[in-house]
Amino acid sequence: MASESNSPSVETATPVPSPEGKRTTYLLPDGTPDASVLQDRTPRQLKLSRGATVLIAVIGLLFTFFSYLPLWHTDLWGHLSYGRWIVEHGVPTTEPLMPLDAGVPFNDLAWLSQVIGFNIYSQFGVPGIQFVSAICIASVLALFGGAIYNRTGNVFAAIATMAFLLVIASQQFFVGLMLVPRPQLAGMVCFATTFVLGTSLSRRWWHLPAIFVTFALWGNLHGSFVVGIVTLGALTVGRYVDFSWRVKNAAAGWSDPQFRHLLLATELAVVAVLLSPYGIGVYGEALSVAGNANVRDLVEWEPLTLRMLQGKFAAAAGLLIVVLYRFSPRRISVSELLLLIGLGALALWTSRMIVWWAPVVAYYIGLHLAAATKCWFNPARHQPVRAGLNTVVALGLCWIYFAYSPFGVVLLHGPPDSPEVAATRFRKTVSPQTPVELTNWLNENEIPSGQVFNCSEWGDYLLWAGPEGMQLFVSSHVHLTPEEVWTDYRQISWGLTGDWRNKLDRYGVNTVIMDKMLHSDMIEGMRGLEDWERAYEDRLGAVFVRRHPI
Amino acid sequence: MSAKTLLVAQLFVVAMFIGAYALSSSHARQTVRTNILGDDYYEPVPVVRNEPLKARPLYNRPDLVSDEDLAAVLSQIQPRFDARHMKPNHIEHALRTWGVHATFQNPEAVSGETMLRFLTDTASFTDSWGIDAEPLLIDHPEGVEIRYGEMQGASYHHDHWLACCTEAGATLDTPIFTPGRRNWTLGDVLQQSLRDFRLDERETEWTAMGFALWIAPEKEWTGSDGRQYSFDLLSTRLMRGEKQIGVCSGTHRVYSLMLLLQLDEEHDILSDEAEVVIMDYLRSVRDAIMASQFPDGHWPSNWPDGADAVANPVNDELYKQVIATGHHIEWLSIAPKELHPPEEQIKKAIDWVVATTKEQSRQDIRDRYTFFSHVGAALANWRQVHPAEFWHDWEAEHPWQPEPATADTSAEIDATTPVKTD
Repeated sequence: MASESNSPSVETATPVPSPEGKRTTYLLPDGTPDASVLQDRTPRQLKLSRGATVLIAVIGLLFTFFSYLPLWHTDLWGHLSYGRWIVEHGVPTTEPLMPLDAGVPFNDLAWLSQVIGFNIYSQFGVPGIQFVSAICIASVLALFGGAIYNRTGNVFAAIATMAFLLVIASQQFFVGLMLVPRPQLAGMVCFATTFVLGTSLSRRWWHLPAIFVTFALWGNLHGSFVVGIVTLGALTVGRYVDFSWRVKNAAAGWSDPQFRHLLLATELAVVAVLLSPYGIGVYGEALSVAGNANVRDLVEWEPLTLRMLQGKFAAAAGLLIVVLYRFSPRRISVSELLLLIGLGALALWTSRMIVWWAPVVAYYIGLHLAAATKCWFNPARHQPVRAGLNTVVALGLCWIYFAYSPFGVVLLHGPPDSPEVAATRFRKTVSPQTPVELTNWLNENEIPSGQVFNCSEWGDYLLWAGPEGMQLFVSSHVHLTPEEVWTDYRQISWGLTGDWRNKLDRYGVNTVIMDKMLHSDMIEGMRGLEDWERAYEDRLGAVFVRRHPI
Repeated sequence: MSAKTLLVAQLFVVAMFIGAYALSSSHARQTVRTNILGDDYYEPVPVVRNEPLKARPLYNRPDLVSDEDLAAVLSQIQPRFDARHMKPNHIEHALRTWGVHATFQNPEAVSGETMLRFLTDTASFTDSWGIDAEPLLIDHPEGVEIRYGEMQGASYHHDHWLACCTEAGATLDTPIFTPGRRNWTLGDVLQQSLRDFRLDERETEWTAMGFALWIAPEKEWTGSDGRQYSFDLLSTRLMRGEKQIGVCSGTHRVYSLMLLLQLDEEHDILSDEAEVVIMDYLRSVRDAIMASQFPDGHWPSNWPDGADAVANPVNDELYKQVIATGHHIEWLSIAPKELHPPEEQIKKAIDWVVATTKEQSRQDIRDRYTFFSHVGAALANWRQVHPAEFWHDWEAEHPWQPEPATADTSAEIDATTPVKTD
């Protein structure tokens, strides 16, 4: 069947006899090729609608944009450091890198993300990490946007879903215009896959194996798999209640095939995460981080409030969905309420959890928006026309997007020729707050051996790129830091409270490395100490060393 | 999906969980118990002995410490405390020095048995402090905690009670009578201490001693926080930071390190790497005290400064000099010769501290009992004799005579004024 958009009129396409009297099906009277006689032989499954093509174009554009964003400097380097350690030693059971955390139990639920990240970085450098991060975000958008488009055929609703998702969870993906690459991104892809499979109206044979595989991976990629299990559980319970309510029989839900399908999916998910080197321990570890006392000091673990930008976005989204409920003809399912209220409560408890509520609320906004607009403007739904040409266009766009991404450039044209160019390029692809020059200085100059007191924001990068064996104080993995050490760190670096100089002596600190953005008070405090001297300073931070090392 | 399939699925799930639980490491299982069931990580550490190990003095040097000098010092530090408001810190020091079997002809002096009872029996403690006082022993579901800190009637340092009772020779089955229960033993205090221990707490000197003297040859254990502790880690913690910072000008951790090293010889509680690091640390201490000794023989509180401590002396009070000197000669008494400063330096230090102790009035000794008790313990070590045994023999030959009453002896210690003593 010819593509609707590219088919000339039937009249124009009518084959005409040639001067020799034979019929030809290839040329128009003016001698140009007659496209109307071509048949679209693309397999049906591969044909795309125009809406899907638009959606791919938008997602691809976003992907390209994301893949150019510099990398934020906190967690990433710590995860790569753990990946490097795991490749050399195997999965840890106690914290392996920070001397002050020695012996602290550590079930590294993100070990697979870290190993993958380390290998990608080793092969492709920063562009590889940018690529994987951008792919993860784009995949999440594609899964949720695609699900809306698939269900409603409304490309605008799909785009709106993606936009809401991006905006509400923006602070989990980006800091300013910088990417925050974390194993959590892999968890989000797993979450999106789970949600899409769990809310799918059709039950395919491969859905259950897909759930199993997703959770088997998720249990090794990030500790957030618990959210996925909770989501499937909510969908299962919701389905039971909905079905039983509909037939006015409390026990009827048990016989509902969809309910049984979801129940089995939930159980498979629960079991699949056990396929981890930590076995049953994954459950204990996944629940331990959120309850850790140290993380309460971090902004991203604070309760969600209206003072936060993402709190304002969340409130606006909540308001919008209430309005949409008023106008949408679509029935509100129990699962939907359970998920919105449950995950919403989780986000209110700690703002980092908004990353799970955002896609769900965006999805339901998209769903009800499509329903409402259909009701207002276009009651009849037309089956979108699919064509191979759209597929070709989509593939072409994907190739262009890929080829123009930094990763594509490296893959197609190779890495930079000279170390200078590589260094310049590296500087541009990491956040301006990354202490690159300071770390280079540390590598080129000798600092006193022994304990280093560093700001936690730089701990990860120093761990990754700093001198080998440097004894750092803290990194962004604060949940692994003993409470007493973390309390001392806060008192010294955040407020210079108590006898902070004595604390430096007690820990045997011989070197202090601080950033100016968050710890300028500490730097000023260090300047006034007689037994310390400033060894290095740049626009980002400073290094102080003890005149007579301990 | 049929009901049968669903049932099979349930069995599969249950089987997987049982299998995962069985195959997972004990650590993984404990992680689940802790974070889901609210249990803690701690597993009681096996203790294979009822009597604690002891630090082994290595030298019998009458040329350094004569019987007369030792007797004079021990006479000074007899545990003569008022029955009212006896300070646990003083009693702990006296008990550690004299031991649980100590007896005295002097009726003012408290026997080892009485001191141990004061520390282990709430009724005895209440006799001294009254019923309104906070108890020294605190009941916990799994064991007994010792109240410590700067409060009235509390032990001063964490695990000091445990280390002192242990050094005094109290057995593991010593009954502990808390306000709520009467069937605890010293073993329950030890286990509670092992459970509560945090590596980064302020003082670990006595913890290291208390643990090592009981649990060797165990060298690793898991705290209630899940952290994997070992004597390697403890020794690293003891060596952390500026040498002078630490209890008694940093000398206690030197003693604890030396004790760990000595116990390691017999019980292998340290790794080879840790042994090397500790030896290096102790050598650096030796070098510092070689350079920082004053001509009269005492060491100052800033002994880690080495020669600079002599060139630019700090204005130490006498008791600080006694602390540094007394504690140094104590750890040297159990240290191999390689870690000794030249013998004449040890001799000078001993002479100075003996003379200084002899000069003290009874009130001075009372006020600073804790520091002078270390002098007595150190000198007895240099004669390879237990103070109580020596004193028992000495009193047999030199029976106690009542002292003439003086204003000094009737002086009351103001128990409401906490004196920071170690």
